[in-house]
Amino acid sequence: MKYTPRLPQRNVNVTPGSPLRDFLVLLLGLTAILVGLYFLLGLAVNLIVPWLPMDIENRLAAPIVRRVVVKKDVPGQEAEVQRLLDYLQTECTDLPYRFTIHVSDNPHVNALALPGGNIVVFSGLLDKLKSENELTFVLAHEMGHYAHRDHLKGLGRALVFMTLSAVVFGSDNPLANFLSHGLYVTELNFSRDQETAADEYALVALNCTYGHVSGAGEFLRKIDEGDGGGNGGHYFSSHPETSERIAHLKDFAKMNGLDAGPLAPLPADFNL
Amino acid sequence: MILTTVETVPGKSIVEHFGLVSGSTIRAKHIGRDFMAGLKNIVGGELKGYTELLKESRNQAIERMKEQARELGANAIVNVRFSTSSVAQGAAELYAYGTAVRVN
Amino acid sequence: MFDLLFVLGLIATGYIIGTWAERRHYRSIERREREFIRLPAVTLKKLDAGSPPVESAVMVCGSAVVSVDYFKRILASLRNIFGGTVKSYESLIDRARREAVLRMKASAEGTSLILNVRIETSAIGRYANKKGVASIEALAYGTAVTFKREGAAFHTG
Repeated sequence: MKYTPRLPQRNVNVTPGSPLRDFLVLLLGLTAILVGLYFLLGLAVNLIVPWLPMDIENRLAAPIVRRVVVKKDVPGQEAEVQRLLDYLQTECTDLPYRFTIHVSDNPHVNALALPGGNIVVFSGLLDKLKSENELTFVLAHEMGHYAHRDHLKGLGRALVFMTLSAVVFGSDNPLANFLSHGLYVTELNFSRDQETAADEYALVALNCTYGHVSGAGEFLRKIDEGDGGGNGGHYFSSHPETSERIAHLKDFAKMNGLDAGPLAPLPADFNL
Repeated sequence: MILTTVETVPGKSIVEHFGLVSGSTIRAKHIGRDFMAGLKNIVGGELKGYTELLKESRNQAIERMKEQARELGANAIVNVRFSTSSVAQGAAELYAYGTAVRVN
Repeated sequence: MFDLLFVLGLIATGYIIGTWAERRHYRSIERREREFIRLPAVTLKKLDAGSPPVESAVMVCGSAVVSVDYFKRILASLRNIFGGTVKSYESLIDRARREAVLRMKASAEGTSLILNVRIETSAIGRYANKKGVASIEALAYGTAVTFKREGAAFHTG
């Protein structure tokens, strides 16, 4: 048996190709799948969520409210706003929620409608108010969102995101917190149509409370001066242009026979 | 390419040899197979997914060994042996090695 | 945020230094394989009928342990999700075994032929039995025979 020394030219045991490219492709694939899952599940949850019974909705709402609200200690203000809210609820609207007001320590001029009947009003907005009519308009506007169940639509995706990030990253992971912060801001946005519908609802409720609709326009002009951001932040702003909003509301008022009138001042112990 | 696990190729004589040749492979299962295996843990039965995986692994290792032998000019591999280890969880690793020879 | 950057840094370091170390190792392996080409290692157990008489036979062995770098580990866990050949480990196990065989040949310096070579592998290290990846240890052992005739390294008989 003869021995012929020979070496193979290439290494059959290693697949050619850059491992870096492999890595990027796999990572991209994984990200695409996770994002796809997120949107698909969000869609599915959005379909189910309107059928949620109220107490489940309230329980789901609690962690979301805790994340968003940085409670400002203004019990006097809060009580007054709550009183107004209760009045609106009993006299001028017919919604199956028990509304609670949360004042959040935030200089932005903004208000949010969170699931479970939790209305969040930022202290920046409260500071800008000059009359009770404006406050009523804000509260009625948020209640309008509830009337159209707008607040639940973002809830679906937010829930899916919380679950996915807990599974992939583990809870309390800084990356998850970082992403979720951005996501809450975008998911709590309402579309322009939703905003317009809420505006109209608010106008009707305003009329019911005071007999006229002054205060709405004044308020809208004020938030325009404010920080120029829509619900939740400067990017992804979906608020219709304020002038458009005011013009539309004027048309709406004219069509429905709502007129102007004197503005009621803020309650005495409001501005503490 | 003839493969045997004995010293010679029965019925033929070895003319020359080229030393050791080997083929190795490592294949991972994917999440689908894992999921099915988890279910099978409840009902029992053959884990077809894993059987497939190990079969593919073995075939690839043997193919690579044959390719290396071919490159050296051999037409048979004798005294083939297998060796395996669990180098990574969830991956099937197989190493096949033998002596590349030329028979007539 | 800092955690993510730290992980990315580890991956990058693993990739850069790991790839450099791997190439260096492969060059060394190929060089030594060329040097030892005269000494065949076979899995055959018996010498041919026409072999020259044997002067001595001694057991020789060589082993090597090679570890993964962080980049390879991450790549493997991604692969575990999608399935397919784990390319990053192929080079790892290949290197370990070739290194073991070379070390066996090195310890058989001056002999003519190594018979009945067996190669065993095992996973060792902190992650050997848990989730994750271990280092791989390859052990090659065989019987090195020396023939009485001069210049018998070219022939086995």
